[in-house]
Amino acid sequence: MSGWFTGVASVFRREIATVVRTPGYGVLTVGLLVVLGALLAAGGGGATGFVPAVVDLLLPTEALVPVVAVVLGYRALLTDAASGELAVIRTYPVRVGEYVAGVLLARTVALVAAVGVPYAVVGVVVWLTAAPDTGIFATHTGVDSPLLYLRFLAFVLLLGAAYVSLAAAVSALAASRRSAIALGALALAAGVLGGDLVLLRSLAGGASPATVPASLALAPNGAFRGLVFEHVIGVAFAPESGFVSTGRAVGSLVGWTLLGAVVASATLAYGRRVDAAVERVRRGIRD
Amino acid sequence: MPDEPVASLSEAARTYGGVRVLDAVSLDVRPGVTVVIGPNGSGKSTLLRVLVGATEPTAGEVRYPGATGPKPIGYLPQRVPFRDGYTARETLAFYARLVGDDPDAALERVGLADAAGRRVEALSGGMRRLLGIAQAVLGDPSLVALDEPASGLDPGMRERAFRAAARRADGDTAVVVSSHALDLVDAHADRVVILRRGRIAAAGPLDRLLDERDAADVGELYRVVTGSSGARADHTDDAGDAEAGDATGGSDEGSESDGSDESDGDDAEPDVHVTGVSDR
Repeated sequence: MSGWFTGVASVFRREIATVVRTPGYGVLTVGLLVVLGALLAAGGGGATGFVPAVVDLLLPTEALVPVVAVVLGYRALLTDAASGELAVIRTYPVRVGEYVAGVLLARTVALVAAVGVPYAVVGVVVWLTAAPDTGIFATHTGVDSPLLYLRFLAFVLLLGAAYVSLAAAVSALAASRRSAIALGALALAAGVLGGDLVLLRSLAGGASPATVPASLALAPNGAFRGLVFEHVIGVAFAPESGFVSTGRAVGSLVGWTLLGAVVASATLAYGRRVDAAVERVRRGIRD
Repeated sequence: MPDEPVASLSEAARTYGGVRVLDAVSLDVRPGVTVVIGPNGSGKSTLLRVLVGATEPTAGEVRYPGATGPKPIGYLPQRVPFRDGYTARETLAFYARLVGDDPDAALERVGLADAAGRRVEALSGGMRRLLGIAQAVLGDPSLVALDEPASGLDPGMRERAFRAAARRADGDTAVVVSSHALDLVDAHADRVVILRRGRIAAAGPLDRLLDERDAADVGELYRVVTGSSGARADHTDDAGDAEAGDATGGSDEGSESDGSDESDGDDAEPDVHVTGVSDR
């Protein structure tokens, strides 16, 4: 147990230090804050309250957060592999799972800072400037509340964590920085647009609209959107719920996160063997 | 030195893109300093990577009967891979934490104590290699594999790097070094493995090989065995055999017969070299 902890903690510490020393991530955070501020100013929802602000931010968030997460994660596991340092690390008593866990945890913490801070700042600004009294801590329908914004923030971070993990999987699969960028862009497009396109296609193909809540939760963006409608926007405005199954949606986001971690770990653990097996086939063909 | 090998390769082979880079290499790595030499592209780096488990062989197997401890293997790749932005001490501290070792003592051992606060990218090539050696021996591994530790260094640094490596070789520890620095091989090697086109052309205790081949020194032995004009008595081939490999060991001797491989054009004979193939 202590060995496991030492491995994860050491890798985590190193990765966090790398993130802190990368000025680009600071720029990314500031950039996100500026964009969110601009969106809020343009939409005007922030002047009214938290829920209107969430309505303004919801759609852009579905693109912005995945982009930030992919930027944070697309080279997370590639850097050491490409430089050859991973081969050195693997001579130490650190299992692949520990290494991936350390890197992923650090990148997720980085995401919490890079995404969480701008969204939190926006929340504080809304709290301070919104015209109606938004200082009421309420859970009842029809009342705006900072708690609703905190829920939104939690869902944002869940969405981001899923994309960080998927981006890390991409970084493990990529053979170079260029291929990591290409694969990251592909994963981004598939994640942001893919779920909705598949859903629309299934509806056009005759699927019952009653299946939408269940289908929506399968893709990370759909799960996120459903949760926001169910637990943030719907609480304040709609007398009904059923946008998405909460358990299914949260399970989906956690599942995507775990899937990314598993794919990354399996790639690093078995990549050499797969490479050797491919070489055997090539050699066999050549002979 | 005990007879028990620290590591053992049995009919190990590796191809890249279907091209054979390492071919049926069998050898036992025993305590002491074993130096792998051979022309560029002869398979030295690949052999070391296979030996430490960084590359999976496409045939054959690697065993570690005498490699023990929490970190049985230490490895320094040909290109020292440490991240920029970290000081020498921070770099070693990361690795030292994993095995409960002392980074300051490790720096002291290779003479880098005064450079502890310098960033990796600000270190000279020689200092980076010494840092790499310090990393490789952290945790007291039984098998230490150093790929071209003297490459690109001035004579003083080369000697220092080799001495730091050789110091690790004792009754239980095997140090395997690939190198073109034949003068240092003469001075420090207990055993020599000469690779040619991915195969072991000669291997065994240095004294025995010199006697058998009636060679005055390693340079002459190299020329006799490989038929080439001889390796540099030193330095720089950083850009060279990224995929070359070699091995050391006790057993195998004789010349290889595989003529199917490609030439890297660096030596008189055709050697295996796969341009652009990277190995993760």
